[in-house]
Amino acid sequence: MRLLLLEDDEATRTYVARALTGAGHVVDTCETGTEATVSASKTEYAVLIFDRMVAGIDGLSALRELRAAGVSTPAILLTAMDGVSDRVEGLNGGADDYLVKPFAATELIARVAALARRPASIETVTTLRVADLEMDLIRRTVTRGGRRIDLQAQEAKLLEYLMRHKGEIVTRTMMLETVWSLHFDPQTNLIESHMSRLRAKIERGADVPLIHTVRGAGYRIEAPAV
Amino acid sequence: MRPAASFNSGAFRFALMIAALFALGSVALLFVVERTIRSYADEATAIGLKSELATLAHALPDTGMAGLVDTISHRQSTDYEQPFQYLLVDARGKRLAGNLPANAARLGWGQLQFADDPGGTGAAGGAETFQSLGTRLGNGAILVVATDTFDVQKLRQRVDAFTIWSGIGITIIALIGGYVIGNLFLRRLERVNEAVARIMAGSLSERLPRIGMSPEFDHLSKNLNLMLDRIGELMEGLRQVSTDIAHDLRTPLTRLRHQLEGLRDYDSLDAYRNGVAAALDQTDDILAIFRALLRIGSIEGGAGRQLLGPIDLSEIAERVANLYRPLAEDQGKAFIVRIEPGVVVVGDAELIAQVFANLLDNALKYTPIGAIITVSVDEADRLPTAIIADNGPGVPALERDKILRRFYRVDTSRGLPGAGLGLSLVAAIARMHQADVRIGDNNPGLHVQLTFQKDVDLSRKRDVEF
Repeated sequence: MRLLLLEDDEATRTYVARALTGAGHVVDTCETGTEATVSASKTEYAVLIFDRMVAGIDGLSALRELRAAGVSTPAILLTAMDGVSDRVEGLNGGADDYLVKPFAATELIARVAALARRPASIETVTTLRVADLEMDLIRRTVTRGGRRIDLQAQEAKLLEYLMRHKGEIVTRTMMLETVWSLHFDPQTNLIESHMSRLRAKIERGADVPLIHTVRGAGYRIEAPAV
Repeated sequence: MRPAASFNSGAFRFALMIAALFALGSVALLFVVERTIRSYADEATAIGLKSELATLAHALPDTGMAGLVDTISHRQSTDYEQPFQYLLVDARGKRLAGNLPANAARLGWGQLQFADDPGGTGAAGGAETFQSLGTRLGNGAILVVATDTFDVQKLRQRVDAFTIWSGIGITIIALIGGYVIGNLFLRRLERVNEAVARIMAGSLSERLPRIGMSPEFDHLSKNLNLMLDRIGELMEGLRQVSTDIAHDLRTPLTRLRHQLEGLRDYDSLDAYRNGVAAALDQTDDILAIFRALLRIGSIEGGAGRQLLGPIDLSEIAERVANLYRPLAEDQGKAFIVRIEPGVVVVGDAELIAQVFANLLDNALKYTPIGAIITVSVDEADRLPTAIIADNGPGVPALERDKILRRFYRVDTSRGLPGAGLGLSLVAAIARMHQADVRIGDNNPGLHVQLTFQKDVDLSRKRDVEF
């Protein structure tokens, strides 16, 4: 995918660009908000990654300008500002996601992937499927190989989120944000406990595991390669 | 001895102002006295002239013109100073008696310049101003009586001089008095100023002396001292916090350094990778400390206040409890949730969620296997209340207030991971919500109770405390 990165700190720019390139993306970089608005309106990008605080026109203003001009490319704001109001301001300014510095490269890569493949209309999907695992979104039922699996409400939410992003890494903070609406990291292995329960229910009696742990990053649900 | 205040000083300006006021008052007084004397003198002159004229004219029918001439001549020839001068002319204008000049023969009021008796009381014998009154007698003759205004002038001059001199005197006294009083006051202020200078130079425990003069000034210095006490507390808090930060970050940074140092000696790639991963974890821990500190700082600084609104305390407690339940069960701890639905408070949902998360984090971290952790939310006493309690070791009574401080850790917990910021964040968020945090005893265990206000005045700024 082709990404646009606005970041004025050279070390961070190199680090982020290298990480994204390593994940198979093509990354265009720029240092000023003006450059960013010009590039983003001329070229079709999959995701815009803007640092909020750059000299001159900052990332948030550049994004506002683009949104006003009708550019709806998904955007992630990178920021050192960790206040609730800062995030609200960022999201109101047209950002689709908000990542607080410092962050792990895996976190950014996972979020870029999640944003880029955001389905146009979620409502039309009624069944999620990964290999023989099926989730009926209308009747709220989950089956694996035809066998009914009983899930608690939050387990079901967690599974739905994983399945909507099948094949992609879903990080712990992404889960906390989506399933529990929490925008901070409680620093304990809370998610691990949830995932082990979910796994126990999903993988019981199955030959091949569907849920994979990605070390140092998060989890991924994926059909086994045939 | 301190040199006297300069002309630019407050004392001098104060004196100048008072002196100017007195000078102004003197001028006004002079003006009024002058006006009063003049009108009184004019009136007295007029009455004198009228009665003299009336007396002479009245006697006319008895004595005839000859008698009148006789009377006038007689009056003018007396030795003592004559208040009046006369002129009597017949109908054809011929002088019959009197020594006023001929041009004084006018009817009604008039004024004329005239040197009466040379060597007399006139001003250096020169011409004086006379006030005259003339009337036509029955036979056509004109009788004029005149009097000089010299005495009145003299009186006026004396009174004027007196007023001017006393005005000057009063002004000078006011100037000196004002200067002395102002200086006295300034000297007292100077003592306060010197104390302030010493405090600024580092003598932080010093306080301002009483200013004196009046209770209002003493009240001012008392208030200033209270302000200094408050600043002192804040500075102490700041000093404490920065020392703590430096101290508490040194431990994880030292650990990180050891890990990185150890990395140099690894020879297998796997060991190297593991070492890097451990170092990264260590770095994340350090960053988490910074994040928590920044969060506390921004909450205490009042950030996000504008986002407060009605939020469902019950839903938040439920959600966070559900998040922690599996971990609690994995750790062999019982989780009891008693949440009355629909308890609403005014606040920030995310920060309140953070409060529950931090308290549950602590409850899980500091209790042994088999512990019972209770989460409850209700509105029993009319006030929304959230309680998180456990039956673990609890916190000694003496340390219960301290655990809300930044970096404070109970001795027995020092071996466990953490930086001692979780409860500080809880305390900061509670303060922002005007909620009361009470750390109590669960007999045994820890009992943390948050009591929210029913109606929160969002506009009110709260004190920032350390």
